[in-house]
Amino acid sequence: MSHLSNPLATAEQLYKKASVNDLPAELQDSILFFTARLTQAAGVLLRLPQDVTAQANVLLFRYWLVDGLMQHEFSELSAATIYMTAKISASPRSLRSITNVYAYLTSPNSSLSTPNSNPPPDPESYYLSESTYITNRNRLLHIEGQLLNALGFNTHVALPHPLAITYLQALDVFAASRSQKGKSAGTEVGKRAIEYLNTALLSPQMLYLTHQPCALATTAVYLAARDKGVKLPDVEWWEVFDCEREELGFLAVAMGSLEGVVRREMERWGEGKAMITRADIRGEMEKMGTALGSGGAAEVEDEEAEMARLMDEKVAAQ
Amino acid sequence: MKSRWADDEEDAALEAQRKREKEEKKRLKAEKQRKADEAAAREREAAQAAAAAETQSQDAELSSRPAKRRKLSPEPREPVAEEEPRPAKLLRFPAPEWKKCRSVEDFEKLNDIEEGAYGWVSRAKDSITGKVVALKRLKMDNAQDGIPVTGLREIQTLMDCAHPNIVTLREVVVGEDTSKIENIFLVLDFLEHDLKTLLEDMNEPFLNSEVKTLLLQLTSGVSYLHDNWILHRDLKTSNLLLNNRGVLKIADFGMARYFGDPPPKMTQLVVTLWYRAPELLLGAERYGTAIDMWSVGCIFGELLTKEPLLQGKNEVDELSKIFELCGIPTEESWPGFKRLPNARSLRLPKNPVTQGSVLRAKFPFLTSAGSSLLVSLLELNPARRPTAKEVLEHPFFKEDPKPKSTEMFPTFPSKAGQEKRRRRGTPNAPVRGNVPEIKATDFSGIFAGREDEEKGGGFSLKLI
Repeated sequence: MSHLSNPLATAEQLYKKASVNDLPAELQDSILFFTARLTQAAGVLLRLPQDVTAQANVLLFRYWLVDGLMQHEFSELSAATIYMTAKISASPRSLRSITNVYAYLTSPNSSLSTPNSNPPPDPESYYLSESTYITNRNRLLHIEGQLLNALGFNTHVALPHPLAITYLQALDVFAASRSQKGKSAGTEVGKRAIEYLNTALLSPQMLYLTHQPCALATTAVYLAARDKGVKLPDVEWWEVFDCEREELGFLAVAMGSLEGVVRREMERWGEGKAMITRADIRGEMEKMGTALGSGGAAEVEDEEAEMARLMDEKVAAQ
Repeated sequence: MKSRWADDEEDAALEAQRKREKEEKKRLKAEKQRKADEAAAREREAAQAAAAAETQSQDAELSSRPAKRRKLSPEPREPVAEEEPRPAKLLRFPAPEWKKCRSVEDFEKLNDIEEGAYGWVSRAKDSITGKVVALKRLKMDNAQDGIPVTGLREIQTLMDCAHPNIVTLREVVVGEDTSKIENIFLVLDFLEHDLKTLLEDMNEPFLNSEVKTLLLQLTSGVSYLHDNWILHRDLKTSNLLLNNRGVLKIADFGMARYFGDPPPKMTQLVVTLWYRAPELLLGAERYGTAIDMWSVGCIFGELLTKEPLLQGKNEVDELSKIFELCGIPTEESWPGFKRLPNARSLRLPKNPVTQGSVLRAKFPFLTSAGSSLLVSLLELNPARRPTAKEVLEHPFFKEDPKPKSTEMFPTFPSKAGQEKRRRRGTPNAPVRGNVPEIKATDFSGIFAGREDEEKGGGFSLKLI
């Protein structure tokens, strides 16, 4: 069985995602990033264990490799995913709590907005009337069915977090620094590794869909130890954890690039933007001069042409 | 910051030593290489000389051939400059995909099999592959909560399982209209029998060798589940399927869930009453794999006699039947049982019968190994029940008669394959909801009136 491994996205699915969604790549990235961040924030407010929140985010991205990005309102899809994931876990949450949390997080008072852009507190802006609650609830339940259908009812998600801790133990990082007084270096590295893994959940590169947990955990350990200046063996220790040097390198760059992704999104949508909606995306498309339903194809062709050119070059070089 | 891998003086010294060794090695290698090169050069020269001699002895018109020929002959082997490190063998995980559910219209319904507590089951044929499968439709009870959690857990746990004694969930299919997901079907292996119906229709119970085969398969499936942190929580004969080749598979995971260590708080409203462990009846909120082992014990007894072992009418009656068969728990045999929620109100007889004696008397034809296994599975104290792994190692399975091989298993006419099943009489697994409380109950009467029971005359020495 598979407490250690995940189903992975196929090349076809990844290719299709680029072509089926008639959206420019950077807007797709925005949708993925903002929705994942919203799920994470909701998980915190719902006091869900992080493994449930993380699983919800993985399932959400998996869904988007089957159905289009614009099929459902992003925040509602996020809410339905977290509801379903919590339901089958040991910590279920009520639809009432979930709709309340999402109403708050998508309101102008949302804690996701930065303080300086926050309007004066206005609880009414996130109050849910009974009838709104029922409409929201029914929509979430509808999306739940669509989500499960798209996933073929496969809700299995293995997470790299416990692996990362095990790897650090295997590398003796905790034991070696325990004797020191004050902050333990090992604990610091462990915390940092978990931070990398949680941040990677927000990556529009969908790292959890393309790499197995062992590779993600190894990379997080590698980056965390580097950040904290803790030395790891000189040999190729990552091979012990079934991660190739090339994969480690790719993931290290991908995880390291998240900071840039966040900065880019903040520049595009403004610091105070708590969550984007489908309406925001349509507005942006109009600004770019491309209406939905056209545009995307040409871009894909270009990509394909470029890929062919790169391959030609590679062949020629050999 | 320091770590085990950080450099200190000792490391530096070691490093220097390593460096020296490395250099020495390098020098030796260079030396060797040089020697090899020289040798190769000498060889080449010799070959060239020989070739030249050959050429001279040959006709002028063939003078161009030696060069060619030399090229074809194997070169004196080039010494390998640096030995390539062999690529490490890394573990690769199988990565299945996910994709949209197929439609149930891809299946052709053959006949209904039964209606269980969690849905209807029918026999159907995959119109694409022609394979006969069992289609189980999920009941959509609480539309308020969306797709029922029991169904989702059943799918979640079954999908993660791959074991010969656990029914395979091939896929999940949905109704044709996907605008609203209301009709959900599990595509399962079709097996000809369930043990319950089979036992009802048999004239004679299974032979001991057959019981062993069935019990071994059941325990091996349970062991797999427990190894993978899954509690079945509804093991009973009607949930055990048997095919015509003697293979038993555990089915119906509607109650199953993942657990952890320490076990999380879980509902006590699990397991069909007749197979429910005493700690559940006494209201324990934290329980573990031992509850499944109790059910295995009940099934063992049922396989031997064809009759369910403990047919209580309600929770209290079930408990009294258990105490009657297995004895009364004491602080000594089951430390702490008095602190369980429903145990406080119990009044137990003061003179407990030793555990196991009644049970042994009930199965006179069982060998001592067999009855010790049964008694241990039906231990009141969950901590003293054997684990599935321990059962698999039990001497009962090693003594004669040996377990019958599945190929030699008798076959039976299949009800599920041909005709509509009559409704069966076992109670169903409990439904989610409020836990019925066991009110203050007087058990002191269980063994009362024992003196009045018929006693055999026996024989005694008469003193004159």
